Amino acid sequence: MTESTTATDFSAEPPAPAYLLEMSGINKTFDGIRVLENARLRVRRGEAHALLGENGAGKSTLVKILAGAYRREGGAMLIDGKPSRYQSPREALAAGISVIYQEFSLVPHLPIYENIFLGKEYGGRFRVDKRRAAREAAGYMRMLGLDLSPETPVCELSVAQKQLVEIAKAVSNRVRILALDEPTAAITDKETRLLFDIIRDLKRRGLGIVYISHRLPELFEIADRCTVMRDGAFVGEVDMKDVDEGDLTRMMVGREVAAGKSRRRAAVRPEIVLEVRNLGHGDKLRDINLALRKGEILGLAGLVGSGRTELARCVIGDCRFGTGEVVFNGRTLAGGVPESVELGMAYLGEDRKESGLALAHSLAENITLPSLRQFGRGILNRRRMLGACREYIGRLRIRPDDPRVAARSLSGGNQQKAVIAKWLCFKAKVYIFDEPTRGIDVGARDDIYRIMESLVEEGASILMISSDLTELIKMSDRIAVMNRGRLAAILENDGRLTREEILSHAIAGGKGTTAGKVA
Amino acid sequence: MSSKAVIGEDRAVGNRRPAWGDMTLYLGAVGIVIAFSLVCLFFGRNFLTLRNIQNIVTQSSIIAVIAIGSSLVILTGGIDLSVGSVVGLVGMFAGALLKSGVPLWAACISALGVGALTGLVNGYLVSVGKVPSFIVTLGIMQIARGLALLTTLGKPISRFPDGLGLIMNAKVAGDMPTSVLYVFSLYFLMMFVMSLTRFGRHVYAFGGNPNAARLSGVRVRRVEMAVYVLSGLFAAAGGIMLLSRLSYADPNAGGGYEMHAIAAAVIGGISLSGGRGRIGNTLVGALILGSLTCGLQILNVPTYCQTIVTGVVIIAAVYADKAGERRAE
Repeated sequence: MTESTTATDFSAEPPAPAYLLEMSGINKTFDGIRVLENARLRVRRGEAHALLGENGAGKSTLVKILAGAYRREGGAMLIDGKPSRYQSPREALAAGISVIYQEFSLVPHLPIYENIFLGKEYGGRFRVDKRRAAREAAGYMRMLGLDLSPETPVCELSVAQKQLVEIAKAVSNRVRILALDEPTAAITDKETRLLFDIIRDLKRRGLGIVYISHRLPELFEIADRCTVMRDGAFVGEVDMKDVDEGDLTRMMVGREVAAGKSRRRAAVRPEIVLEVRNLGHGDKLRDINLALRKGEILGLAGLVGSGRTELARCVIGDCRFGTGEVVFNGRTLAGGVPESVELGMAYLGEDRKESGLALAHSLAENITLPSLRQFGRGILNRRRMLGACREYIGRLRIRPDDPRVAARSLSGGNQQKAVIAKWLCFKAKVYIFDEPTRGIDVGARDDIYRIMESLVEEGASILMISSDLTELIKMSDRIAVMNRGRLAAILENDGRLTREEILSHAIAGGKGTTAGKVA
Repeated sequence: MSSKAVIGEDRAVGNRRPAWGDMTLYLGAVGIVIAFSLVCLFFGRNFLTLRNIQNIVTQSSIIAVIAIGSSLVILTGGIDLSVGSVVGLVGMFAGALLKSGVPLWAACISALGVGALTGLVNGYLVSVGKVPSFIVTLGIMQIARGLALLTTLGKPISRFPDGLGLIMNAKVAGDMPTSVLYVFSLYFLMMFVMSLTRFGRHVYAFGGNPNAARLSGVRVRRVEMAVYVLSGLFAAAGGIMLLSRLSYADPNAGGGYEMHAIAAAVIGGISLSGGRGRIGNTLVGALILGSLTCGLQILNVPTYCQTIVTGVVIIAAVYADKAGERRAE
């Protein structure tokens, strides 16, 4: 592959066939900040086209322009060679464009069929023909292998099933261009296979698929071509056949990223900081015994739904557990989250927007929240608060580096860093990371690994939950594997540990052979 | 680093609203005053007299004090509909105590206790019981009104000892009404608490993202409960002020005050979704409402039209506030 790589000229134009979608010279500014500059995207009929770039590279903005949610500034957008000038999501839908975001746009308490036909109900002015909608919805659902009653309320579905409902909705809209934003971020490997089958089927029907994902390996599986963006600009358009992961990473980051390198091991000290004894919580957790040592990164592996997050929540005191106890530095915890936090435990949840940051508040306010006590008894010293924020913003290379900006305007990777900054400032002793790099681009991911390394070197301990086994093997000193609410194994990460071994513990004894989630 | 830059930076911890939001509010307030002055001038009258200004502040003072509590509750993402009834209940309670010979100071403290107690009930049901604040305070609003009526079976109480009237009608520092003193000192205190104490920052954090606040170790239930207790306290203070001003306890007093207080907060830019807004701006909101009433009275506009104008101003204030956000998108 290396030969052809060096020969690849990223700027070369392929022979011009008729593109289904052609966006070029797209600009967009927010509050005077240029987020897209001369962005470009060209999608052929029947191809899956990957849109790749770091967080903040402008992919989402470009897709939102495609969806009609944002207005473009300048540039041209051709659909089937015809210029299109739609102004709203509704008009974009009418033009055959559907975007499936990570946050689905479904109405939770309405049945599947009503969701599919929302906004285009059958029937006259006064009567909606529900029977016809349900019948046709069942047809779409069959086509997508969604084996459920169309009457099922959407809130009862799994993430993967909701995704299929979104696709059914798109198909029912006679979609021609379907954009999927990180569709595999929250679904299992088996569900990913099913999704890929569906995407291939849609390709055969002549649709153009725009596929956004950070998971390079799956792009090679599903995508035909790829457009890479960096800092809001078009970097290159390549055939997936002509490149490898290294090439794409270089194009995204603009520099060489050391990948696969194992972290330098800090000396794990013998003292036990956190101990979980015989923890049980309904049928979600049973007989969990764990000990986290000072300076250790303890990985927590397991399939989605194996109880990893529940365990983390019990440890932090956010969830009342039935049996057992959690002991922190010799003290049995009983006081819920405030006590755990006071003693120095930090939980960094997988959904940063939900549980990590107040998005409308400034970076400074978010960072100082747990540690307000440090900044004065009674009266807070704002100048010292800002000084501390500056320090951590600098140390973690958070961009933009202004403590006054609202957390909302940060990219995913920088938001994650802001959450870490919050706990660094607090000087937490135990960090529980739940999927620390989910939805985070390669460059920021490396930064976060580096931060975790320095944390343990300074004597903190980390419990790291991750679905990415490569990452777990790279970072952990030991890996605890969960399997349906039980601790299946605790493996010493001695450099010979393989993903297969972890996976075998994670799925052992299960019904059938559910494939684990390996990124 | 210039001093100007430092002031700008200080706003990073404590500001809730982009500068243009504050600007529209202040410009609106100044605009209303100028408009009234011009119209009054046209009719040969003077709007900007010391007496008028004192009138405006005195008339808005009760709503302004109650609106502090309403703003706090709104900052946590809730709403307190019970404050108007609490004003009535507190008035009757203090009135009955005074009538039975209880000294003024004891009556006032008991009245504040009643306010805090209703707030505690509100806060407990909202934070621990997880009942939506709209429902809880709607219920307490009815209950408090019922209790107020029950005190004397609906009859008002009047003829109080002289000391009571002094609370509101005395003058300090020459010619300044005491109500001005109350309003400014309470606002000053709460602005300080909200931006420079842990409690204040916790209120904002809870309103901005309750989950993040909880996981950051904020004792969220306590914070939420405290906010309703404070709201009850400020409502009780308003009740005492009203009782003193009228020297007359009416079980139906304070009806609709909750809406005026919420209006003052909303005009001041306190976001109903929680976590955003500055307490000081609520005072501006209350003063805008007060100058409207006062100005329209001077111009002999019928009362019915006054409420229409008030309604228009409430919507216009939020519309203007949102205009900037719309532009940003």
